[in-house]
Amino acid sequence: MKRLFVGIDAGSTAVKVVVIDSEKRVLYTLIEDTKPFIEEQTGSILKAIREKFSGCEFFVTATGYGAQLVKEADKRVTEISCHARGAFFATGKKGTVIDIGGQDSKVIVVGNDGQVLDFVMNDKCAAGTGRFLENIAWRLKLSFKEMEELALSSREEVSISSTCAVFAESEVISMLAKGIELKKIVKGIHRALVKRITAMLYSVSFFPPLILSGGVARNRAVQKMIEEETGEKIIVPENPQITGALGAALSGL
Amino acid sequence: MIEIPKRSEVIKKQKDEGKLIAAVFPIHYPKELLRAFNIHPVEVWGPPLVDTKTGNAHLQPYICSIVKCGLSFLLDEAIGTVDMVLVPHGCDSLQGLGSLLLDFIKPEKPVMVFYPPREKRSCDVGFLEKEIKRLYHQLCQLTGYSPDEERLLKEIEKEEALEESLLKLYENRKEVTLSSLEFYRLIRAREYLDADTLMNLLKSVPQKKQTPLTNSKPVILSGIVPEPMDILEKIDEMGAYVAADDFASCRRRVYGKGESRNPFTRMAERILNGPPDSTKGSSFDERIAFIESLIRRCSAKAVIFHNIKFCETEEFYHPILKRALKEMGVKTVEVEVDLNERMPQQALTRINALIESIE
Amino acid sequence: MDTLKRIKYEVITKAAKLALKGNRILSERKFKTPKRWRTDILAPPLKIGLRTKELVTRHYLEGRYAEGAKPVAWVTSGAPVEILKALGFYVLYPENHAALCGARRTALELCLEAEKSGYSMDICSYARCDFGALISGKTPVGKLPKPDLLLCCTNICQTVLYWYRVLEKHFNVPLVVIDTPFLYREAEEHHIEYVKNQLDKLVEVAERVSGKKLKFERLKETLRLSKMAAELWHEVIQTGKNVPSPISVFDQFIHMAPIVEMRGDAETVDFYAEMLKELQERIEKGVSAVVKERRRLLWDNLPIWYKLKFLSEFLAERGIAIVTSTYTNAWGELAPMMDPQRPIESMAKTYLYPILNRGVGHKLKTMKEMIKDYSLNGAILHSDRSCKPYSVGQIDERNRLISELGVPALLLEADHNDPRAYAEEQVRTRLSAFAEMLES
Repeated sequence: MKRLFVGIDAGSTAVKVVVIDSEKRVLYTLIEDTKPFIEEQTGSILKAIREKFSGCEFFVTATGYGAQLVKEADKRVTEISCHARGAFFATGKKGTVIDIGGQDSKVIVVGNDGQVLDFVMNDKCAAGTGRFLENIAWRLKLSFKEMEELALSSREEVSISSTCAVFAESEVISMLAKGIELKKIVKGIHRALVKRITAMLYSVSFFPPLILSGGVARNRAVQKMIEEETGEKIIVPENPQITGALGAALSGL
Repeated sequence: MIEIPKRSEVIKKQKDEGKLIAAVFPIHYPKELLRAFNIHPVEVWGPPLVDTKTGNAHLQPYICSIVKCGLSFLLDEAIGTVDMVLVPHGCDSLQGLGSLLLDFIKPEKPVMVFYPPREKRSCDVGFLEKEIKRLYHQLCQLTGYSPDEERLLKEIEKEEALEESLLKLYENRKEVTLSSLEFYRLIRAREYLDADTLMNLLKSVPQKKQTPLTNSKPVILSGIVPEPMDILEKIDEMGAYVAADDFASCRRRVYGKGESRNPFTRMAERILNGPPDSTKGSSFDERIAFIESLIRRCSAKAVIFHNIKFCETEEFYHPILKRALKEMGVKTVEVEVDLNERMPQQALTRINALIESIE
Repeated sequence: MDTLKRIKYEVITKAAKLALKGNRILSERKFKTPKRWRTDILAPPLKIGLRTKELVTRHYLEGRYAEGAKPVAWVTSGAPVEILKALGFYVLYPENHAALCGARRTALELCLEAEKSGYSMDICSYARCDFGALISGKTPVGKLPKPDLLLCCTNICQTVLYWYRVLEKHFNVPLVVIDTPFLYREAEEHHIEYVKNQLDKLVEVAERVSGKKLKFERLKETLRLSKMAAELWHEVIQTGKNVPSPISVFDQFIHMAPIVEMRGDAETVDFYAEMLKELQERIEKGVSAVVKERRRLLWDNLPIWYKLKFLSEFLAERGIAIVTSTYTNAWGELAPMMDPQRPIESMAKTYLYPILNRGVGHKLKTMKEMIKDYSLNGAILHSDRSCKPYSVGQIDERNRLISELGVPALLLEADHNDPRAYAEEQVRTRLSAFAEMLES
């Protein structure tokens, strides 16, 4: 019987799934928004996969903050190891993974064999996570795409000083009240996030290249700003959002 | 308008005159001692609105912006310009900063530390005198120069004379035709000017009996450092003005005269006998009495506690100070700011509400 | 002092002492591991725990009746308490009281009381907790005796100075500050002389408050007992050098109460001698604190008092034993400096030298030595929002442990007493990832 390896990354914003075979070929990927009942959601996703690849044997590895809720998991691994493994598989060399997640952001230093040499995560507050952009986007009634476009289109930017996500929100509101141009504010918000991320980066001994993973990695404004702030070239895997799920699938091998 | 020389110009001029430049962190140190060694102290109070990437790489998120901005500014910009760094002990975070610089960061310029004691008993004066002597010897080694007592006394007297003028300026605040912002730009110029230059500037301050301030409401600000300085401008716009302050960077460092003819004892006396201050661990009774004396002099009806976020040193005092002021019929408000905050809307709203509430 | 109150105090505390002792002996006879104890991953609780409970209960019980019967002093955890002990003071440690509230999960409620009175959430959670107890009168120990004297030593932080200023204002009693200049390098002559002068001043004030004259022989004896207890505590910690370790840092956190708040008592010496014996028996029998000890770690900074059980079990499940800490070590490592023959002079030096009064370089050095001496595989540095003097420097310390010693190290963000600064989900992720890293 053919043996397939499923990686499920049950994150706070989205559930990501990757199926690979023993030759590490990616057979299937799926990304959907996280629903309130992760247990049922992942259950039905797995059911669909079993139907799709009927006649195969499965090994399921779960990761992400909802990993405990994936009842059918054969193995559970943290996002840190998964992102390292997934990114290493994508690039084939050592480097530093920056993962900007919804709940947690992390900087993971990956060694020559894809092992985790060191990692740091954001402090308790949400200002350094994807949630920060999400909250403000919601407040401004903008989609992520619109946020990205606005940030890219602006030459100037305001400086958002609040270290706290909640206060940053009220700072944004008072700027709007003063009639400051939206795109300058949006660019400033991106800058604030990137500064928090690069501060994390500088608190460890890292080495290039920088590999972006997680949903926010697709945001070109964030990519550009990380390059500006660090002076390092960054690599974005083809589908950065599934890096963790891919790593999870690989760790089942 | 008074023309205050810019920091960079002052540094250049002092360098051209052959002086060494010392970057000095807050708060208390014997400025006159450095001057006697031909060292020009330039203080690092943040500054506001700097990129704190470097600071964040060494300090946790709950460390205040004075320390964080200061470290970032020192390493990213100032270290190339200055000849040495002095980090006095003022609080647990400044203590950590000094230690980090000495043990881990080790910048390319010499780092010195200084410990002012937290009481003012005779043993404290004795200790401080020896601590200043220790710094003296360190500076001798660093510069190859050992100023004599006469030189030290000359510099001490200069600072004392300057402080006498500053005190006069404070006492005549109402007659001085300067806005709150202009007034504090002048007071804070002491952070990087030598006594003589600042004395000359003070002489040019315009004064008259009837000023626009006569119709404004006098308020007092208490805290570490008045940043962002735009707040001062806003206070004026709200129909008030800063009539006196209890800032560690300003009024709390107008020490007053020492008595001894021994320059080391005199420098120690000056620091210890100066106005009460949180970083010196002053008692509540001393602090209440001091603020009360400020209130009486300028008949302010309100005190604004201006706090730099995460400054535990100041925060511990606030509840009891506020209660004491309330009993005197003085209104208070507490605002929290970050040096990197351009315009702290929340703080301004609170200040505005306070000003509206006083007659 | 009031003679009647004194008699009442003597009678009640003597009776209580006997009762508590009797109770403890009974409990020892039928000593059983509690039902919910995770014996699959942890060794049974140390028997000495019954004595710890007895001593701590008695200490606070004595406190209830001390007011008016005995001079009472409130002191900081690093204060030169031997002088007060020798003068017959009842000594209360607000920091310990706060930690006790933390471990019994009442700290948050008390912090909220303080915040209601205007204290900022950004001040130390120990201070907030005790202010809350002061304002509301709520405490898990029944009642705290009012102080006749306050003694604040700055060798652990500057925070205590402000804390004691508040107490000074609140109680309107004398406050003696022992200012111990921070040692960026070694102590110099003028530092030691300064502390010595202040100790002389303390003797003067304490004599006045207690109405007694300090007997020098009594002071020597108290310091001798302090030194012995500290030496034994240090030996207790050092049993952790054994692989596997018979003691975990969580045991140390719980059983450190006597060395902090009962220094100078003969019973504290007996207590640690007994504890040492129990640990040596464990070593002989091959009992390890974590049943399947595979990895050994160092802890840096204060405990997370309200999460001791969770952390201990979460790590033990993964075969990880936190063997020792810079924090618990601080109450033992200075024993050699104490010289009962030269009490004031040696105390002046000893009380300048706690790890918290020394530079970040020294702390890193201590951590490196401990990692080597205890054969450790890594370190967890608790970045404690409430304790800036302990926490500043940890980012560099962590990086240097990794780069200079090649051991993994984790910075864990929390607070020693305020559960709001702690996020369980985030802590789980970080610890699991760290465990995976330790295994690879």
